[in-house]
Amino acid sequence: MCAVQLEIRNISKTYETGLFSKKRKSILKDISFRVEKGQTFGIVGESGTGKTTLGKIIAAIEKPTSGEIFFRGNPLKRKKEEFTTFRRKIQMMFQDPEGSLNPKKTIQRSLVEVLDLIKIPREKRTAVIQDILRTVGLSEEILVRYPNQISGGQNQRVTLARILLLKPELIILDEPTSALDTSVKAQILNLLKQLQQERNLTYVYISHDRDVIRFMCHDIGTIINGRLSSMSSSTVEGISQRV
Amino acid sequence: MTLLEIKNLKVTFESSLGKVKAVEDISFKLMAGETLALVGETGSGKSTIAHSIMNILPPNAAVKGKILFRNQDLLQMSEKELSQIRGKEISLIMQNPALALNPVFSIGHQMTEPLVIHESLKKSKAILQAQDLLKRLHFKGPGVAIKSYPFEMSGGMKQRILIGISVILNPKVIIADEPTKGLDSRLKTMVLEELKLVKEMEHSSMLFISHDLHPAREISDQIAVLYAGEILESGLTVDFFKEPLHPYSKGLLESLPEKGFKPIPGTPPSMIHPPEGCKFHPRCPYKKEICTRKMPDKVTIKGRDVKCVLYN
Repeated sequence: MCAVQLEIRNISKTYETGLFSKKRKSILKDISFRVEKGQTFGIVGESGTGKTTLGKIIAAIEKPTSGEIFFRGNPLKRKKEEFTTFRRKIQMMFQDPEGSLNPKKTIQRSLVEVLDLIKIPREKRTAVIQDILRTVGLSEEILVRYPNQISGGQNQRVTLARILLLKPELIILDEPTSALDTSVKAQILNLLKQLQQERNLTYVYISHDRDVIRFMCHDIGTIINGRLSSMSSSTVEGISQRV
Repeated sequence: MTLLEIKNLKVTFESSLGKVKAVEDISFKLMAGETLALVGETGSGKSTIAHSIMNILPPNAAVKGKILFRNQDLLQMSEKELSQIRGKEISLIMQNPALALNPVFSIGHQMTEPLVIHESLKKSKAILQAQDLLKRLHFKGPGVAIKSYPFEMSGGMKQRILIGISVILNPKVIIADEPTKGLDSRLKTMVLEELKLVKEMEHSSMLFISHDLHPAREISDQIAVLYAGEILESGLTVDFFKEPLHPYSKGLLESLPEKGFKPIPGTPPSMIHPPEGCKFHPRCPYKKEICTRKMPDKVTIKGRDVKCVLYN
């Protein structure tokens, strides 16, 4: 039996709206689910149902109003040193390929920035960059370019390269292919699957695209009115019927 | 009857890295009452064609060829003459509803602006007309929508408002540039239904631009497949989906979800230094030696125009 990599217990999120008369708006209500190592859990739902908010809570970009998150069986502590380690193990990939990279930095600079963070010595950097570009299917000529000089699919590959340099165990994929062309979407989805097999990665895949969810996910949860209302741990066919 | 005809259109952009050959020798016709889908990957020149028709390309663009609307060349018209055609005869539904709407003006203001400028209507009458249009487009609570600002609306609602603004003057040609991009399946269906409705209401023709083949299949009568600024295949939409001819068209259909997301290997070529011969040859599984040297001529086969050595 596979080990549980991520467990979400009773996560709720409420926002306050209004300038003078404060109103509370409940986005997520009592969300719970588990994801096993090496598996993909799909979160589906229409636009505005709180899918991205849930992803951000898992990635610790937003705080939940209540509830707990367990990573590899341990509750996530928010102390600074533990938090940093945890953040590197859990990464998030966003929808907008161009918006995910700094437009004023070349691709090389964007990758070196990560190498600085993980303290890779200078003499090893060229080899590390060559290796990661090969992994995500990019050529070295891309290094001198800026994000607006490469395609959406190439931008998403660079984002993925930055994420992989941090050696994550869990990646939250928030509609990473929704802005891409059909053929490029197919390339990125196949790459994500291949990387999952090679590196035993765990994914939480957020999407409103039922075809993508069917192709990528082992289990799914559907958010309706803030609640995770249906779950499937059966076969892919079962998933497609539920979506 | 031909309403819009594009003849040998060439568009290049000057850039610091060199000349970008965005559109190369494109020709097609849009018949009255017909919907033509332009499909292809990002950067294939779809939006450049739309912007050329509207004459809203940036100053670094150079345009050659002819764009005939009712036999008048739009490229030879003055800005004053074009302003009588833009919005009134040919309208463009922009790609990004979040950016296309002005955040500081109400929806009512933005919807009535064309009526006030082109038809010299009084504001109160224009508001009534805008509300009526929203009602006909099955918009829930048009009175509330008119008073709202863009930030109070979802992406799908903003897209539907953009459709409303584009058709409020009953244009003869609607250019819809990726109107379903980024929308979820429910909103996608809603927007497509709305586009079909406005086309029927106004008996307009539509140029439907999309990188997504599903909506193109649903809405169009004719389809043209663009790759690196050139049309590689064009013809009836039904025939295209039944039996694609060009290897790139076949690859596009293979990458659809129902075929298991099989990707086309490689990436689109540089538009500054495109490959010699057929631009698709570096990715083509059927390539021959001649493909690396010469772009095949267009041939008509099974009622479709195709540029591939397999049919020469």
